[in-house]
Amino acid sequence: MLEFKNVSASCGRTPILEQVSVSFPKGIITVLIGPNGCGKTTLLQCLNGTSRVTSGEIYLEGQDYLKLSLKERARKISFLPQIRTIIPAIPARMLVEHGRFPYLGFSRKKTKEDDRIVENALSFTHTASYANQPVDTLSGGIRQRVFFAMALAQDCDYLVLDEPATYLDPDGQREFLSMARELKAQGKTVILTLHNLSHAISLADRLIIMNDRRVIAQDVPKKCLDDHIIQDIFHVSCKQFKDKDGTYYFFQ
Amino acid sequence: MERKKFIIIVLLCFTLLLSFTLSVLFGSVSVRLSDILKSLLSLNTGSTSHTLITAVRLPRALGGLFAGMGLSVSGIILQSVMNNSLAGPSTIGINSGSGFCIMLAMLLFPQSGFLLPLSAFLGAFTASLAVFLLAYLADSSRTTIILAGITISSFLNAGTNTIKILDTELSVNLVSFMAGSLSGLTMAKLFLPCLGILTALILSFSLCRALNILSLGEDTARSLGLNVPFIRLVFLLLASLLAGCVVSFGGLISFVGLVVPHICRQLFGSDARFLLPCSSLLGGSLVLICDLAGRVLFRPFELPVGILTSLIGGPFFLYLLLKKKGGRRVNA
Repeated sequence: MLEFKNVSASCGRTPILEQVSVSFPKGIITVLIGPNGCGKTTLLQCLNGTSRVTSGEIYLEGQDYLKLSLKERARKISFLPQIRTIIPAIPARMLVEHGRFPYLGFSRKKTKEDDRIVENALSFTHTASYANQPVDTLSGGIRQRVFFAMALAQDCDYLVLDEPATYLDPDGQREFLSMARELKAQGKTVILTLHNLSHAISLADRLIIMNDRRVIAQDVPKKCLDDHIIQDIFHVSCKQFKDKDGTYYFFQ
Repeated sequence: MERKKFIIIVLLCFTLLLSFTLSVLFGSVSVRLSDILKSLLSLNTGSTSHTLITAVRLPRALGGLFAGMGLSVSGIILQSVMNNSLAGPSTIGINSGSGFCIMLAMLLFPQSGFLLPLSAFLGAFTASLAVFLLAYLADSSRTTIILAGITISSFLNAGTNTIKILDTELSVNLVSFMAGSLSGLTMAKLFLPCLGILTALILSFSLCRALNILSLGEDTARSLGLNVPFIRLVFLLLASLLAGCVVSFGGLISFVGLVVPHICRQLFGSDARFLLPCSSLLGGSLVLICDLAGRVLFRPFELPVGILTSLIGGPFFLYLLLKKKGGRRVNA
């Protein structure tokens, strides 16, 4: 369980979040949704130190997360940031190998085990065939998958992804959703933000809805829909469609 | 790909060795290869060629080697730290900062030789920190960083010029100092700066993994557990030490710290494990060749090395830029 307790956070010197309490149970997929500028990214960025936590605590399985060193944090939670201003001119495999950085030190060199984890991450994201190509020559979708593989190579129980589906085409998005489900099946805790409401509801075991820098609701998707919270915040109406595989939601 | 890199590295090593040897052989008076060997083996210590080699040529060649290595690696580090492909010791004010402090030290403490590298380093670090904080606190764009660097450079250069013009007693040739020159070097003058450069090079090489992570951008680097502010400070210190030490004996040699990193990025992508060693090899060769050209082209006149680095490096850099157009994008 990852728990934010009364967390206030600022981005640079601008305070964004105030007294936010929210929890992410272990072993399930939690999806954060909310309009642009609602504070989702700031909330997640508390985890890698990009946003500054000014008060409050973050607990990871009972441990005070903010007291851990940055390297220790990177061994517990792998966080894939949304914005990528820099696309490095290095082979894809090398980028994925950077995911092993938190485990390496001056004395600790890359081992067979590291190589195995890197290869697994490449094949899990179906990027093994691009391993030797420079990242800056890859298409946006493949690039995103390579960065995803880097986050997987960190080999953490918790995976936090900030808008991972943004650069993907519809096919790539569906593929991404199934990868997220597979990670959950492997026992990982997955936390992510999505803009596509249908995807968010079909993927999430638990939804966290934010608006205007506050957490409005944290519950199972069905409850959020039944309480009309999603409809009110996003100004949409919801249509349901049921078949033998499950329930589908459409928003207008 | 790996094979290609290997061949390039071997070629670079060979070029460096060749340019170092040529740099000792040629000058206003040429010596024979056998004389160098004799000097190195301390045979025939009384001859004029021995004196020429050990007192003039060797210090000069060593100075060129270290200047090239120091400036190039400093450039690579600055580009990664600032995530800016236009960063370099001469574009963000590091060179000018150390130049100004050297001039100041000469004015205030004319007798002390060891203060020069120290004040050069302090000046370099202050200037780089100022530019970095200015850019970082104001959350400026990449262009602003360079503009701030250029502004600080010309401000400090104005100071350097003022000191020299007001105090005519200063034993330094302003033109060759501002352009960058390796003439009149002695082993004694070189010792401390070269020690500093060597230390900084070894430290930078051992930190190249962190430099790679830093090049991924601040957010990603944090997520991978890198202490970004701390490592940035360490790298700014190293880049300042490298460039400051070079300025303390070679003056403001420009262009090397910008061109060499770019050429190496073209050849090797942005992997610091290749970039750092290769740029030091290439940088050393470039400065040695330029210095040699400056000595022999217009004999008996001598052009300062900094003028030649711009004359030779400039067109070559333009050629690379134009050739790259439409090709693959190289990020800082």
